[in-house]
Amino acid sequence: MSEPFGRLRRREVRARLTALEAEVQEQRQLSRRVAELTDLVTDLLVPLSQRDHARVEEIVERYRASV
Amino acid sequence: MTTAPARAAPVGAAGLVVPADSGVVTVTFDGRRVWSLRPDLDGERVAAGWFVPWPPALASYLHGSTRVRVEGFDDGRTYAEEELAFDDRGGRVRVVDRRNNPLVVNKVGTLSRAFDATDETTRHEILTGTARILADLHDAGVPAYLCYGALLGAVRDGQVIGHDCDTDLCYLSDHREPVDVIAESYRLERVLRTRGWTTTRMSGADFKVRLVLSDGRSEQVDVFAAFHVGHRFFQLGNRSGALTREDIVPTSTVELEGVTFPAPARPERMLEFLYGPRWRMPDPSFRYDDPVDGVRRLDGWLRGFRSEQPRWNRYWASPDARSVPHRGSSFARWVDARMSLVRPVADLGCGNGRDSWFFAKRRRDVRSFDCSPEARVRTRRLLRRKGAPHDVRRLQLNELRTVLTEGLLLRGSTLYARQLLDSVDDEARRNLWRLARLAGGEAFVEFASGRARPPDVPGLQRALAADTVVAEALAAGARLLEREDIDGTDLNDRPGLPVTRLHLDFAEDHDE
Repeated sequence: MSEPFGRLRRREVRARLTALEAEVQEQRQLSRRVAELTDLVTDLLVPLSQRDHARVEEIVERYRASV
Repeated sequence: MTTAPARAAPVGAAGLVVPADSGVVTVTFDGRRVWSLRPDLDGERVAAGWFVPWPPALASYLHGSTRVRVEGFDDGRTYAEEELAFDDRGGRVRVVDRRNNPLVVNKVGTLSRAFDATDETTRHEILTGTARILADLHDAGVPAYLCYGALLGAVRDGQVIGHDCDTDLCYLSDHREPVDVIAESYRLERVLRTRGWTTTRMSGADFKVRLVLSDGRSEQVDVFAAFHVGHRFFQLGNRSGALTREDIVPTSTVELEGVTFPAPARPERMLEFLYGPRWRMPDPSFRYDDPVDGVRRLDGWLRGFRSEQPRWNRYWASPDARSVPHRGSSFARWVDARMSLVRPVADLGCGNGRDSWFFAKRRRDVRSFDCSPEARVRTRRLLRRKGAPHDVRRLQLNELRTVLTEGLLLRGSTLYARQLLDSVDDEARRNLWRLARLAGGEAFVEFASGRARPPDVPGLQRALAADTVVAEALAAGARLLEREDIDGTDLNDRPGLPVTRLHLDFAEDHDE
């Protein structure tokens, strides 16, 4: 016997909600990754670039050309 | 004077029974408080009232006998007082730490030392140390303030709360994007480290600062971020709700046992936000009732990068870990026959250090890594005992910034990872390939593959699809030099675990 339409619909909505919650949570997790990269760039790469500016410029130039 | 039991209320090896109308209940062993509970939250309804099982944190201490006293916190009614033998081992039950300091079950269900069992000199040392950390946070540019139990004690009567066990600090961030809140917390941790503090990161927006006391013991002080996203206020641990910036800044001051601390602008508002309208009434069994959606947001934004660590810590601290052999594994011998003689070895996920020692014995330079502090202690201990050099480091594969920096520092090293890939999540595995690419040399990995679930450590390892792992490594820039799918051995060297072994090369010039 087939499932009544209302119940089927509720089940679908619930499944969709669960999926949406998981997708939202996935997006939230990007915050930490972006923060880690920001931290790395500001506290590691920036001081490094001040050390050997010519070499850094060369690498950045090459990178720029590739994007 | 001992009050006679108000009603029959048995205590037993499994737990205790208290009357249906009892409020907060305090339990002492031989006159010392070990636990405060709320029967309606901790127990289950039985005919005689509430049955409350002993909390899991106490389980390993419940051997021998003790005089148990169960009494109402609010009315002092004695529900039970009797001599109880948990087993026939003899001796008294002693809920103490390694230095004999009494421990109590705290509000998160673990054991800690309570202030009422801490002498005045030590308490003063903890408070002045906390004030120093607060001053350093202010110097670093954030309005930091005393919070949680210590603030409650300060506002109530200027004394620490006896059943409280630590001091917690918070600061209000100006940032409204979680990304910026996290980056700021990283910066503050760095400032404190450069000022000589030892810290441990707990999430993207909180870390612990270790306060070393003059008798050699140490206390951990939490530094929690507080911030607004939209109109909603969040404060680590897990609090969220309505509290305005004006309730917090500019900070005011409070006195706690003679030490002055910065406090929220309106401390009473903060305390009501934390503990509800009855915050002035002492309640040692208090537990937070955090909005679920707020916790979900905080989990998503800030957490998840060290979720495996507690499980591995428990494993390496448990008696089970003693059965893991100290001799080199069969995979280490397999690798030894193939690896370059001159390159240093990075033992990733070193566990008890057995393979680090195997390579050190063969005069290779070894650097050992693990996410678990317990594993690092074991590795260090083994290498030290053997008289080998020991360079043992923390590696959190889910934390991109440590992965990238270690990758740069391991340039030219050979990577060795036995049964690591199968005990981390997908993100950590992808980060391992990033690390290997930066190191730019050979990598040897072994992981549980096929259908069988690895024995012995349920929940810690899972079998991976070997073809998928190979495809990932190739996509990350590796060249596959050798693959072997065999019936291998588990952590305890017991046979019957299908494993895949890979010899990879991450050198960038391999196709030139």
